[in-house]
Formats: sequence, C-alpha cells, structure tokens
Amino acid sequence: MMYFITKTKTVACKPKTIKPMLRQHYNTRPKKNLFFLFALLFTSSLTVNAQNIRVAAAANLQPVMEVLQKDFKQKTGITIDAAIGSSGKLVAQISNGAPFDVFLSADMTFPETLFKNGFAKEKPVVYASGSLIICSTQNIGFENWERLLLSARIKKIAIANPAIAPYGKAAEQSLRDKGILDDAKSKAVYGESISQVNTYITTGVADIGFTTQSLVKELGDKTSLFYTVVDPKTYDPILQGIVILKHGATNPAAGKFYRYILSPAAKSIFKAYGYRVQ
Amino acid sequence: MDLSPIWLTLKLAGITTLLLLLIGLPFAWWLSRGKSFIKIIFEAIITMPLVLPPSVLGFYLLLAFSPQHGLGKWLHDTFDVQLVFSFPGLILASVIYSVPFMVGPVKSALQQLPVSLAEASYTLGKTEWQTFRYVLLPNIKPSLLTSAVLTFAHTLGEFGVVLMIGGNIPGVTRVASIAVYDSVEKMDYASANNYSLILFSITFVLVIAVFIFNKYQAKGPLA
Repeated sequence: MMYFITKTKTVACKPKTIKPMLRQHYNTRPKKNLFFLFALLFTSSLTVNAQNIRVAAAANLQPVMEVLQKDFKQKTGITIDAAIGSSGKLVAQISNGAPFDVFLSADMTFPETLFKNGFAKEKPVVYASGSLIICSTQNIGFENWERLLLSARIKKIAIANPAIAPYGKAAEQSLRDKGILDDAKSKAVYGESISQVNTYITTGVADIGFTTQSLVKELGDKTSLFYTVVDPKTYDPILQGIVILKHGATNPAAGKFYRYILSPAAKSIFKAYGYRVQ
Repeated sequence: MDLSPIWLTLKLAGITTLLLLLIGLPFAWWLSRGKSFIKIIFEAIITMPLVLPPSVLGFYLLLAFSPQHGLGKWLHDTFDVQLVFSFPGLILASVIYSVPFMVGPVKSALQQLPVSLAEASYTLGKTEWQTFRYVLLPNIKPSLLTSAVLTFAHTLGEFGVVLMIGGNIPGVTRVASIAVYDSVEKMDYASANNYSLILFSITFVLVIAVFIFNKYQAKGPLA
C-alpha cells in the first residue's frame, strides 16, 4: 500500500517532468521506462520505511489517534500506520501473526492475554481510562436517561458488541446497574466496534447510543450531538492498556512511541478528548 | 451451538428467492422483449449490485432507511415501519443485492428462445400472459432453476450489507455469515468453524445439484 502512496505523491510533485518523458519513450523503449518506474517506486518506498511503525489501536481511539499521529510525527519524524478496529478483532489478528509493533487496547484483558500467550514483550500498562457517554443527534433530554431509554420514543439503542468491545461491556454493566438491562436489550442493536456505533448514532439510524466521549470532541462542531456522561460508578473503569508486541520488540521507533503515549504530552491530548489520565 | 443464525439465513434466502421469482420473472420478460433506452438503463441498474462493493450498497441503504430523513422518515411517520436493524430491512436489501442473479440469466434464456414459439402461441389465440406462463416459462426451466438456486446461494453469502444495516441482533439480523465473523472476533474458533462448515456444505450441495440438473436437462430438445 505504501508503495502506491509514495508513487502518486512523487508523481504529483513533478507532473511536468515525468509525464512527458513517459509518453515520449513509451512506444520505443518500454523496458527502460518500466525499470525507471520500479526504481522510482523502490527508492521512494525505502526512504519512507526507514521510520515507520505499525500500530493497532482500539476503535474508540479513532478520533484521538489522528492527533497523536500528527504530534508524534512532528516530535520524532516517525510515521505511524494505524489500524483501527475492535480490540477483539485486533487481538485475533495479532495472535495469528499480524505484523503490528504496538497495541493500544480498549481494556486490560486483551493485552494481558497477548502477554500471557507470548505475543507481547512486557505486561500491559494503563495509558488512559475511557469515559462512557450516552449520545444522540436529537435533543431529547438526558436528565433521566434510564427512563428515556424505556420510553416509546426510543426505538433503537446502539451498543458496541459487549463480547468484543469494552465500551459495550461497560454499557451493559451500567444498564444492569440501573436495572433496565433486559428492557434495553430488546431495543439494542450491536455495532461490531465502537466506530460502527458512532455511525449508527451520527446517521440517526439508532435513536440513541452508548459511545466514547472522544466522538463528541471530534464531531461536536460538525454535527450537532447531544449527550450526557454516564455515571462512572455504574460500570467498571475502562482502563485501556498499551503493550509493545513481539514484532516491534526490536524496533526502536516502537519503544519511542510507547514512551510517547505515556508522556505528559500525549496525556494532555487524551485528556482533551475526554479520557481520564493519571 | 446456537443454530438460530443458520435458520435465519435459510429463512432470509428462501423469502428473498421467492420474492425475486415474483418480481424478477415479469421484469426479465419485459427486458427480453425489444430494445429501448429505458430498458438499457433499467438493465444497467439491476446489474449494478453485481459489481458494486456491498459497502456502497450498505451505506446508501443505511442512509435511506434512517428514520431521521427521506424515505426512512416517511416510512416511519406514515406506517411506523423501521427497516434498518430489522428482518424486513434485510429482505429488502437481499432482494436488491441478488436481483442480477435472478433477472440476468432468465432474461438471456428468454431471448435465446426462437421467436416463432411465442408467435405460434399468439396465432392460436393465446394472450401474452398465457404465452408467457404456459409456453415460454416451461421452456426455460433449467435457467429458472439455476437463477433461483444461485439467488438463494448468493443470499446465503451476503455479508457486507448485513454487517452495515443489520445491527447483529440475535434471532433478528444475526445471520450465519455475521455469526462467523462474530465468533472469529471473540476468538471462538470452534463456533466459527461449525457455522462455516454448515454454510460450506449447503453451498456445495446446492451448486453441485444445479450442475447435475443442468447436465441432465441439456439433453432436452430446446435447452
């Protein structure tokens, strides 16, 4: 993938010099042109790959990841290729040999499993803890959301799949705490990750949904979102852990990123996106 | 193991196939007769699900079904129907998704029939409907069966669209392909394998059956 990106970039910078040259020689000397193209691809990809790490990040980090990527690139010059998905899916991929260097999970259990099974170098460390919100595109009054959820006005409640997404698990715990889990379940629709829940909320196909506070920070000024923070006492803290994976153990850039995520600079970014940090 | 995703899938595929037989046959017949610009446009539209990424279809259906605006809002306000995250919604999506598998082969088969067949029927005083029902349809039986079975099998294999508009509700929208995905994500590979094996076997038997039937039918006078 990187190859194509770098290629288009290079060509786009100098369209006038490269394009006529290709066209001119195309009929007469195709082999040479091919060689030239491959050389171009090869050299340009080399320069990029020198400082590159692959990060697997939980879906709730989608909004904040972009900011972290930019900030980290500015500080170190290292590019992060981020794969965003539900923690469960990423762990399944990593356990089956996906070449990620660092894993930012949405909980502690998944990275601990990776560590136990020998896919991570060290035990996971908490980098932030998440904040669950209940959110809608309509201003329907959230003061008493447990009653609201049961009202006829709410037809569908979007929740991340509790079996694989920690925010979904937290939402279920909270609903159980309020004593409305069974009633809410009859209206529940399950997103395969918190990202899909966000889609369901922002497109309005679900009337309301449980998601992460960072969504509001990201979309707050583009889409009108109404929300309230769910009382953190009603669910187990969503402690999110980071580990360096076996694949990244020998990559110094991975260590740099790991230390960056635990640094005050990253912590202030997490805080701005509604995460709690120590 | 929870077998409900398998039943749900079979139910979805069965209903979709029946509906497409009802809608698709007259439509294929209309398309097979003569050429006009409108027909070309229609044919292009119903062929598109074949080449469009399911995510494109899923995305537009998600927007169309949203009770917040447009079609979804109208359905919701007038009939109190919500298509997204519901079994009827999946049926509608599957019908759209599988329509080329029904209409395409049937249309081609109808076009292959000699014109004299229909003309003879007309000269004997039969109406268009009678001609279609008693002369043309019996003569394209193999294509009909192939289309029906392929429509069924294609709906079994539906994944991307359902993932986007289904909402993974057990017993309502969690079809077998989603159950496989779900089990893999949970690292419950045993369940994933069970579901996959069942799907694998059903599709294998279906496709084999079509091949055998077509080989046998090919000996017929007109096919």
